[in-house]
Amino acid sequence: MSEKTDYEITIGIECHVQLATKTKLFSEVDNDARGKEPNSCVSPVDYALPGMLPRLNKEAVRMAVLAGHALNSEINLISRFDRKHYYYPDLPKGYQISQLYHPIIGSGYVQLPDGTKVRIEHAHMEEDAGKLTHFGTYSLVDLNRAGTPLIEIVSMPDIHSAAHARDYCKELWRLMTYAGVCFGDLYNGNMRFDVNISLAKPGAKELGTRAEIKNLNSFRSVERAVEYEYERQSKLLDSGEKVKQETRGWSDATGKTTSQRSKEEAQDYRYMPEPDIPPIHLEQSFVDEMKAKLPRMPEDYREMFKGILPDDTIEILLDYQPLIAKLAELYADNDDKTASKENISTSGVKKVANLFTSVLLAEENTSLLNDELPTKRQLIDLVTMLEKSELSSTGGKEVFLKFFDPEMHTKDTRTIAKELNVLQENDTGALEAIVDQVLADPACAQAVADFKAGSEKVLGFLVGQVMKASKGKANPAAVQPILRKKLK
Amino acid sequence: MNITEKDIDHLAELSNFSLSEAEKTSLRQDLQNIIGYISQLDELDVSGVEPTYQVFEMENIWREDKILPQEADREALLNLAPAMTDNQIKVPKVL
Repeated sequence: MSEKTDYEITIGIECHVQLATKTKLFSEVDNDARGKEPNSCVSPVDYALPGMLPRLNKEAVRMAVLAGHALNSEINLISRFDRKHYYYPDLPKGYQISQLYHPIIGSGYVQLPDGTKVRIEHAHMEEDAGKLTHFGTYSLVDLNRAGTPLIEIVSMPDIHSAAHARDYCKELWRLMTYAGVCFGDLYNGNMRFDVNISLAKPGAKELGTRAEIKNLNSFRSVERAVEYEYERQSKLLDSGEKVKQETRGWSDATGKTTSQRSKEEAQDYRYMPEPDIPPIHLEQSFVDEMKAKLPRMPEDYREMFKGILPDDTIEILLDYQPLIAKLAELYADNDDKTASKENISTSGVKKVANLFTSVLLAEENTSLLNDELPTKRQLIDLVTMLEKSELSSTGGKEVFLKFFDPEMHTKDTRTIAKELNVLQENDTGALEAIVDQVLADPACAQAVADFKAGSEKVLGFLVGQVMKASKGKANPAAVQPILRKKLK
Repeated sequence: MNITEKDIDHLAELSNFSLSEAEKTSLRQDLQNIIGYISQLDELDVSGVEPTYQVFEMENIWREDKILPQEADREALLNLAPAMTDNQIKVPKVL
């Protein structure tokens, strides 16, 4: 009889990141093939015509250094390219130019939202391969993607749950998009994850045999694939069988992994130094300069808003870099020449964060995320007016939405509030006049009598009447004390 | 080092070559000679010597990230392929 054991799971992840350069890694053709005809972004270098010389894209090197800083990694001042030989129609050269021995990015770490650190073994530059589409008896090759610059980020086996595997991939996505080195479009394969998974009995000194799940392209599929592999491998081990070291593919549709090829037929890439690309030798000053250029990273924002916003709100906003960056601009930046040296208070941060999550991230409004965000001035004014009760929270939301209206987005906050007619009446004199008018209304006589007889709850009715008489512009919080005073 | 027929089969498979028996024999002999020649280097003590990666003293040969027109266009390049369909290169089914 087999017994169910609680195995310890160990996961290491390799992530391919397509760099957002204008041209490919080794040829001067368009690197952005989204929506373009097959084989329209190609050059003789990509076709590996005899005698073609690859020429390294300096911008790809710059982005790799920036990515390395985002990964808290050492940058290797000297790095070299190698040829990795394999025969497959997705790369006509018969080899991929990669960096095996001297990668540009050395060891570093990624910190997950809960504080867990995943160490980075290294990350190297390489070229992407073309895209194959398989048909009944033949395959078609599109070389648009062949030669796209990649960095492959290799983690240490520091991950021990499906949730952490997902968190790690998501954090990588944030780091790379925040650093501005990747468009982060997972649907179009801008980032792809290979996940190595092994199980061992608790306390075992050695890791178990691993299976590698290739080419996952969403955080959810990473999580599901790990969950599936845990079940599959633990069943095998429980029944005394062995896990095969192999490459497996994942299907979102079936929710299963299936064997693709066994690593037993040893892969032999016959690496050799790439003679066509001389080594990269970076100046320390350039590396330092890149570090100074790195914008705020997720960890910076977590530190900034910890204790001010709930952790889960921070994590939601971190998925939308422009939003969290805007919030930081309002709260922390005071050298902004275009707007204002003012900052908002922590309660203002909460108000704006709430507008972002409840209005902007509401399903019906997500299209607004593509628009330009309101200016610092507009948002500071909005917060001030909310705090002074010149706007109700409902009125505030209406004004906020108009910041995205092409007809109104350049107007200042007060002008928009006036045009929407949502400014609240706080002026005591004006409110007293309306209250007098309501109390004199015979329709309210019964309520007035009830209140005087001790019924508190009719106060709400009376406030409602004042609101109605003011056409919704009275501030209810200001109306109540006036009513009480007059009814004494 | 002795190059066996199995080595030749392995290398041929990695490169997706189909070789005749005669070719295998002659390639095995050629490779044996090349490796034998190079093996003379084994006599040297190279401990502490930095490996030679490049024979030219060049570094940082790179270019700006600018799209340039190519001399060969899509059609010219596609026409080099033995077969094509829908602007894609057609190859025997692989997986």
